[in-house]
Amino acid sequence: MKYSLRETCDKTFTVMTALSVILLVVILVAVLGPMISKGITAVFFKSTVEFRRMQNDLHDRGSIEKIDEQIAKANIHRDYIYSKIDSFKMGIDTSFFKQKVKQIYRQFGNDLKSNNIKGTELSDRRKVARQIRSDLEKAFASLDKAGIIELIDGIDQHKTDHRITGTVAMGFYDLADQYKAIIKDFDLSKRQQYAESLGQVEDLLIKLYGPRPEDPMPALIMDRYGATRYDLACQLLDKILWKEHWVQQSPDQPMVSTKLPRVADFEGTEIEDIFFYIEDNFQQSIIPKATIYWQYFIDDSTSGHYFGGVGPEILGTLILTVLAMAFVFPLGVVAAAYLVECTTDNIVMKIIRLSINTLAGVPSIIFGLFGLAFFVLFLLPFFGGPSKPCILAASMTLAVLALPVMIRASEEAIRSVPQSYKEASLGLGAGRFRTFVQVTLPAAMPGILTGVILSLSRVAGETAPILFTGACAFGSIPKSLFAQTRTLSYGSYDIAVGDKIGMLVPHKQYGMVVTLVLLIICLNALAIFFRAKIFRRLKGH
Amino acid sequence: MPTSVLKKSDKPQVKSVVKITDAPQNKKVVKDDSDCKCAIVKARDFCFYYGSKAGVKNINMDIYPCTVTAIIGPSGCGKSTFLRSINRINDLIPHTRTEGKLLINDHDVYDKRTNLVNLRQKVGMVFQKPNPFPKSIFDNIAYGPKLQGIKSRSKHQQIVEESLKAAALWDEVKDDLKKSALALSGGQQQRLCIARALATKPDVLLMDEPCSALDPIATGKIEDLIGQLQGDYTIVIVTHNMQQAARVSERTAFFCLGELIEYDLTANIFRNPSIKQTEDYVTGRFG
Amino acid sequence: MDDTALYNEIKSTTGRNDRSLVLTPFEDLKGFLACHLGRALLFLITCSSVLAVFLIFYFVIRESIPFITHNDISQFLTSQHWYPEAEPAKFGALSIIVGSFYVTIVSLLFAVPVGIMAAVFLSDVVSFKIREFIKPVIEILAAIPSVAYGFFAVLVLSPWLQDKFGFATGTNALNASIVLSIMALPTIISVAEDSISSVGRELREGSYALGATRFETIFKVIIPSAHSGIIAAVILGMMRAIGETMVVWMASGNASQIPTPWWDLSQSVRTMTASIAGEMGETVKGSEHYYSLFTIGVLLLILTFTLNIVSEYFLISAKKKLGKA
Repeated sequence: MKYSLRETCDKTFTVMTALSVILLVVILVAVLGPMISKGITAVFFKSTVEFRRMQNDLHDRGSIEKIDEQIAKANIHRDYIYSKIDSFKMGIDTSFFKQKVKQIYRQFGNDLKSNNIKGTELSDRRKVARQIRSDLEKAFASLDKAGIIELIDGIDQHKTDHRITGTVAMGFYDLADQYKAIIKDFDLSKRQQYAESLGQVEDLLIKLYGPRPEDPMPALIMDRYGATRYDLACQLLDKILWKEHWVQQSPDQPMVSTKLPRVADFEGTEIEDIFFYIEDNFQQSIIPKATIYWQYFIDDSTSGHYFGGVGPEILGTLILTVLAMAFVFPLGVVAAAYLVECTTDNIVMKIIRLSINTLAGVPSIIFGLFGLAFFVLFLLPFFGGPSKPCILAASMTLAVLALPVMIRASEEAIRSVPQSYKEASLGLGAGRFRTFVQVTLPAAMPGILTGVILSLSRVAGETAPILFTGACAFGSIPKSLFAQTRTLSYGSYDIAVGDKIGMLVPHKQYGMVVTLVLLIICLNALAIFFRAKIFRRLKGH
Repeated sequence: MPTSVLKKSDKPQVKSVVKITDAPQNKKVVKDDSDCKCAIVKARDFCFYYGSKAGVKNINMDIYPCTVTAIIGPSGCGKSTFLRSINRINDLIPHTRTEGKLLINDHDVYDKRTNLVNLRQKVGMVFQKPNPFPKSIFDNIAYGPKLQGIKSRSKHQQIVEESLKAAALWDEVKDDLKKSALALSGGQQQRLCIARALATKPDVLLMDEPCSALDPIATGKIEDLIGQLQGDYTIVIVTHNMQQAARVSERTAFFCLGELIEYDLTANIFRNPSIKQTEDYVTGRFG
Repeated sequence: MDDTALYNEIKSTTGRNDRSLVLTPFEDLKGFLACHLGRALLFLITCSSVLAVFLIFYFVIRESIPFITHNDISQFLTSQHWYPEAEPAKFGALSIIVGSFYVTIVSLLFAVPVGIMAAVFLSDVVSFKIREFIKPVIEILAAIPSVAYGFFAVLVLSPWLQDKFGFATGTNALNASIVLSIMALPTIISVAEDSISSVGRELREGSYALGATRFETIFKVIIPSAHSGIIAAVILGMMRAIGETMVVWMASGNASQIPTPWWDLSQSVRTMTASIAGEMGETVKGSEHYYSLFTIGVLLLILTFTLNIVSEYFLISAKKKLGKA
């Protein structure tokens, strides 16, 4: 082959290998980047006054006076908007008027009775009132503006009738005037359209601002507060101001969505400028402020993870991992000690090593099956406990999973203690056990601790073994070792695929998984730091 | 008496080891009678095998109390093997066996009933490469006495001080005994190991090429130390360095290919060896 | 003064204790018992790992026996119809088994070349300092838990695939394979790099001295010499991919089918691990379905155990080569 060809091959090859490593870095950034950047927003974000209100209600945080002050300020705008909407609604939804009419008529009848008017006088007066009533009802039901005005003007003829002047029936005329004023600029044919659109806007406003004070308290906590985050609020604002409209641009293509301003729906009505008002006073109506919600790591979450934090999950993960390490640490260190100190290269040793390697290669779901079949269904009932998934079973399963990791790390640590220490100790007259305990083990301890930390980080991230042995997605903080617990790992899975409400709060989804990933990365960084410390120690500080 | 032809250190503290007939102030005159029953270590047809290969064969020698005995010879001749058999530290190596007897105070150390713990406290060892534990200076030296059951802290203090003084290290480290032993220099570490070995008050001190990993100045200090310890301890030192053997020892054994070729007073070995092989070695014709 | 007396005087002045070199019978017995009992105890504790493996095999196999004895194993292994909750239930696990292999092999197609090249880069091309910078990247990739990878697959990769390639669904074989290959990469890289590095400098020097370029040295000398270790690395990566549960459960779509045509990666598949994880929560303990899931588990165990033994063989033969060389 010509030299230049060989050289090109060589250079290309070098470049390709470099690219593969760059690809690794790119992959790392691609995997961690979106998760961390979105997960961070669970703790660092702009909150609205609704958030502060919620925090105060649920956890007694923040001063109630300041919050009330802010709510009062926000309510100025909210009340204005609502009042405009309400008055507009009255034009659309005539049930208010109809009800009022009925009320007045009934009251009129009761008044007559109480004034002891009987007989033909009674029926006569009631006939007049009934006439007015039916006219008004027709007016309210009609869509013909001219006809309505005619009907309303028509009842004027009874205004001066002595049978109704001075009675509650005069209320009919107030209603009529009110209604006439409302429908003056109203396009009645569009009533249906207005109703629909206004209904959507009203729903969105309630989502944005929270339930109206006069409405009954909603059952679900997630409905009791408006938008707690600024980004969510902006999304809602967008939905309020713009309507999504599907358009078929060309016959074969799927429909494309475009945005139409909602103002166009209410063109020519009194409510038209409400949208500009909402947009202009948006900031003042929600009062956003940058917050650091560090209590995310302590708080429990409300149902569906809509509000709150991952406190119980962190606690669950910690309990399971610490308990698993408590089981596996003595077993692992003792086994490693035996393998290093008492080895003879016979068949038994080979079987032990094969077992350790096999254990290291078993898939994690098989550990889950094993945990279910052995710990939950066999061992616990054997000792008289309940045959249900619980923390004890899950941590024992995790301990079996961590055993090979621990044994390997401990063995490496113990083997790396120089033989000279052993010789020196034996030369001074110490027995083998004392030599191990007083010289070898302390010298190997940093390496063993590194192994502990690595096992911890492995165990914290495992989901499959605890699926059927002790993890759950909902539930209170566990009270005993025989209860199930929520964990970061299982919770991340559940909130990503199982939980419908989780989709509405992506920051919570990402927040949970990022908490897990950061926890594990911190543990690994700690292990790396420890390893460096060992290096320094062996060189003499 | 003619002074030694071989080089002596110029330092005034060194006692000239070759002046056998002059009895120094606190030194004992040693008879060169090999039937002396007061020999503390006696080897009788001692053989040591690594698997099937012989490390040493048919060793017969007596080591006398309060003397410095040097063992010299080319690489691989079994010097360290023999030395390490005396306190049975060779037990760490698998697949070994012995023949013959190796007696300390008339007890065969390879007897099944030997109390290894007491043996190793009676026979201390200093290794080729300094190997202080990764603990403080104080804890290194107190390790041995603790094993002996001495519990009181004041006794530990006393022993540490005595040992460090005996090893000529006290002045250099007395200010900070809690410092890590690994922070000392190579020569200091080796003296620390010597102090550590002395802390158990052994009868015999075995030194396996103690200066081979050290620079000349540290070597000189260790050799001075050996001279100072000579009166109180029986020292057996394995060394590659013939001049060192001539400087520090009273008797020298020459090993070659696993066998003891000649064992005599140092002056005789170096000035008029009886066996040709010895003469070839000490004059540098081989090795 | 004779020697003995002087010796004794010296002994007494220096305060040495006279310790007996002979064990008393009691001490002898004590030492014997302590040593042997102690060793026995340590041995038993060490055998906990053997016990664990034994128990795993025993219990998983035990729970699968009711299924194996009552159903046709050949149908289990060859039929594609997996309808465990139907009446009558059908337990054909072929599509699930094929699904596992499908995503594993596709993931290795990407992971093996990239992994080996990265291993070569780390061991031969780059200096020690830069290597120390890159090693943490690999360690972090290895440390990220599988549920985080699954999360990434579902919430980040899946919409991106759907947008970019117009797939019907973003959770499919391609998605699972991509994430599995990312997960297998660190294993492959570290084992391969170990074995490439431990090929002695002498071989490299010999090859360069004959005028070979780096590319030629690596491909013609180093990799053939380290081939056992590299094969072991690939097998270990394969074990990682086949045994992975959370990622495939979240990202593969879980449709129990064999993709038609076979190269269409955009279809959903289901793996053995995902079947067990997904269905176990819903089955009644003691039902046929429950035992069938354990049977899948046995299959998985046998598979990974075999792969383990094969990789052990390659690793040992790699070490032997080093011993000789």
